[in-house]
Amino acid sequence: MKTKILLDEEQIPKTWYNVQADLPSPLDPPLHPVTQKPVGPEDLAAIFPMELIKQEVTTDRYVAIPEEVRDVLRLWRPSPLYRAHRLEKFLKTPAKIYYKWEGVSPAGSHKANTSIPQAYYNMKAGMERIATETGAGQWGSALAFATMLYDLECTVYMVGSSYYQKPYRKSMMNVWGAECIPSPSTRTNAGKAVLEKDPDTPGALGIAISEAVEDAATHANTNYALGSVLNHVCLHQTIIGQECREQLATVDDYPDVVIGCVGGGSNFAGIAFPFAGDKLTGRHKDVDIIGAEPASCPTLTKGAFMYDYGDVAGLTPLLMMYTLGHDFVPPSIHAGGLRYHGDSPIVSRLVHDGVMRAVSLHQSEAFEAGQTFARTEGIIIAPETSHAVKVAIDEALKCRKSGEEKTILFNCSGHGNFDMSAYDAYHAGNLVDYEYPDELIREAIGRIPKIQ
Amino acid sequence: MKRIGLIINPVAGMGGSVGLKGTDGNVEEARRRGAVPRAQDRARLALAPLRQEKGIHFITCSGPMGADLLQELKIQNFSIAYPFSGESSGRDTTEAARRIQEAGADLILFCGGDGTARDLYTAVGGDTPILGIPAGVKMYSAVFAVDPAVAGELVREFSPARLRDAEVMDVDEEAYRQNDLKTRLFGIARTPAAPGRVQVSKQVYEAADEGRAKIEIAQFIDEILLPDRLYIIGAGTTTAAITRRLGITKTLLGVDAIRNRRLVAADCDEKKLLALAEKYPDTRIIVSPIGAQGFILGRGNQQISAELVRKVGIKKIIVIATPHKLAELPELFIDSGDPLLDAAFGDTLQVISGYRIAQRKKVHHEKKDYSPAGA
Repeated sequence: MKTKILLDEEQIPKTWYNVQADLPSPLDPPLHPVTQKPVGPEDLAAIFPMELIKQEVTTDRYVAIPEEVRDVLRLWRPSPLYRAHRLEKFLKTPAKIYYKWEGVSPAGSHKANTSIPQAYYNMKAGMERIATETGAGQWGSALAFATMLYDLECTVYMVGSSYYQKPYRKSMMNVWGAECIPSPSTRTNAGKAVLEKDPDTPGALGIAISEAVEDAATHANTNYALGSVLNHVCLHQTIIGQECREQLATVDDYPDVVIGCVGGGSNFAGIAFPFAGDKLTGRHKDVDIIGAEPASCPTLTKGAFMYDYGDVAGLTPLLMMYTLGHDFVPPSIHAGGLRYHGDSPIVSRLVHDGVMRAVSLHQSEAFEAGQTFARTEGIIIAPETSHAVKVAIDEALKCRKSGEEKTILFNCSGHGNFDMSAYDAYHAGNLVDYEYPDELIREAIGRIPKIQ
Repeated sequence: MKRIGLIINPVAGMGGSVGLKGTDGNVEEARRRGAVPRAQDRARLALAPLRQEKGIHFITCSGPMGADLLQELKIQNFSIAYPFSGESSGRDTTEAARRIQEAGADLILFCGGDGTARDLYTAVGGDTPILGIPAGVKMYSAVFAVDPAVAGELVREFSPARLRDAEVMDVDEEAYRQNDLKTRLFGIARTPAAPGRVQVSKQVYEAADEGRAKIEIAQFIDEILLPDRLYIIGAGTTTAAITRRLGITKTLLGVDAIRNRRLVAADCDEKKLLALAEKYPDTRIIVSPIGAQGFILGRGNQQISAELVRKVGIKKIIVIATPHKLAELPELFIDSGDPLLDAAFGDTLQVISGYRIAQRKKVHHEKKDYSPAGA
């Protein structure tokens, strides 16, 4: 019985898969934040290189991965697919559990799959600096690593609560030559406005995005990069699911259930879109695709499907997505990477159309699953990832009850080596189980967010 | 130099060991049953680590109410504000607290139980912070450190900038001895907050300051108030933040009712609340956990009776509390007087803790023997 299913370097996919090509109707277009008319490429050119703008809007089924990018990806790709024999045994489940281990990238998560091409296209476009935001620090460190490879400067606005909870993520960014600033900061008007209103704010991804976008828009040599949500980011991550499909094929298997944790949606998109494509095109109609999100920020399960801003200040285009309202500041859970009010428009659309579904989890049950995983499979995973593990365990336990021998696949998106204080809190019984009081909100407001 | 008041209730806790459920007015009976004083021992645990502290001046009472122990511990930096001899009583505590407050104490450390806290609060109200070394039979008030050593640490770390509200509970001792726990909210004191202990997990609060957290909770409740619906608002300062936002003066220690952002009835008793709930069938009850244990029903809010809760519906209770308060409460307690109703609350409750933020908290239920066959 194989534990690790490995591919050769040459089997790194040569194209990214674009699920937009297989949607029954086109996505609702992003709208300009001021005119509320669909944005054109020229609107985005102030902060993105043209190649990425093209990828954002293309409906081509496949987009070629530049060889220079594949060369860098060889550092850790293809990532291993593991069969979780020990976890299966512990759960006494007849299900087969596979996990795609993305923690092998230098920055320790799936985020490098998109930071490399994003930095590459910016370098090609002659940019000198990239500004970005980061939640838990996984994206910031992945972009710091990528910009270093292409000799670009990098400024990372890191959500304040995570900056202080995880100081070593900042240290990683510094090692790779990037500058890391706690957000909100006094460096941008967006940051100053938030601080003026609320000097004690823990910060939020939506605020940090406003800061990075403003930084990029006001500096000619600087572009902006986003680690999740946008179509081109999800596109770059599809390398994960494509590899999984190849790897499973070598053991003659195909998943019945595909799981990823969801913040902005990129790691979930990465593992899920190739399988969602199989479902949309009728090749595998029954695959169950599940996003795992925190109960404290339950965008897909409790949000409204509507146009909303991607950031707090309202600087980004309006995106058609599930949202809790762009002014919602989620509580400071340890899975900082899942604290986002909105979600990828493609993920949102697929959930809305019933191609994929979502569940929400309290952080203590997610940590319990993370610990179970560490004690069976050995790897100490990120708090974000533990949400996916929890759903995988739940699905496997359902199989124990029903006797079904389902194949369960989940994206093991990153390691938790910088999250040990969170594990300490779990052991001390100090984790707070935040949740979103959606019943009260719905009853009173009808629909949650309002675009102002 | 910190000026720390010290009052030891020499007979505190004596009743407990001999089954008296309280010592007030029962010292002789407690002694007859063989009880020995334990307050000095409890206070010693708190004060001994402070022997080397140079920055503290104690203001205390003579004899067993403070000075004896300080002398025994060779703590010399103290003055006596209240000379006392003979058998102490609640009146001594109240009078001593008054004089210590007049002498300019920053904080009054006391050793006793709920009765002592009540006597102290009678004198100083919410003006001078108080902190209890737990030594009584009953400690339902939220002014006690978790143990005497922690009380000592809190004195050492005391800062007037780090205080929280703390309910002082009044327990009817006579009824208590008949196994009938009747408590009411006696007042709201100020006591040192212990951020060091609740932040070991590096928990980041949504609002660093508890006052701000109350404002955010009130902001959220304001957002969800619906027209024509009656809201019954329980006792305490967290619920008071809601009425303050609405421009209504709340009965801090009692239960009010509001509708359409106006006060409908103030300081209601159970009968009045039942009549209101009858008149407005779609009523909501907003309460906050009270006291050291965190009771959402049955302590300080007795007007919100089991009958009223049944009439309104369990699902229509909105529980609110600051993250700071919740961090000190591992579980919430419900004691409506109707065990079946208490059980119907289930194992967990949603507690609104910020703007559009809630926490899922465990509800304490008396342990029952559920050991399944073959387990």
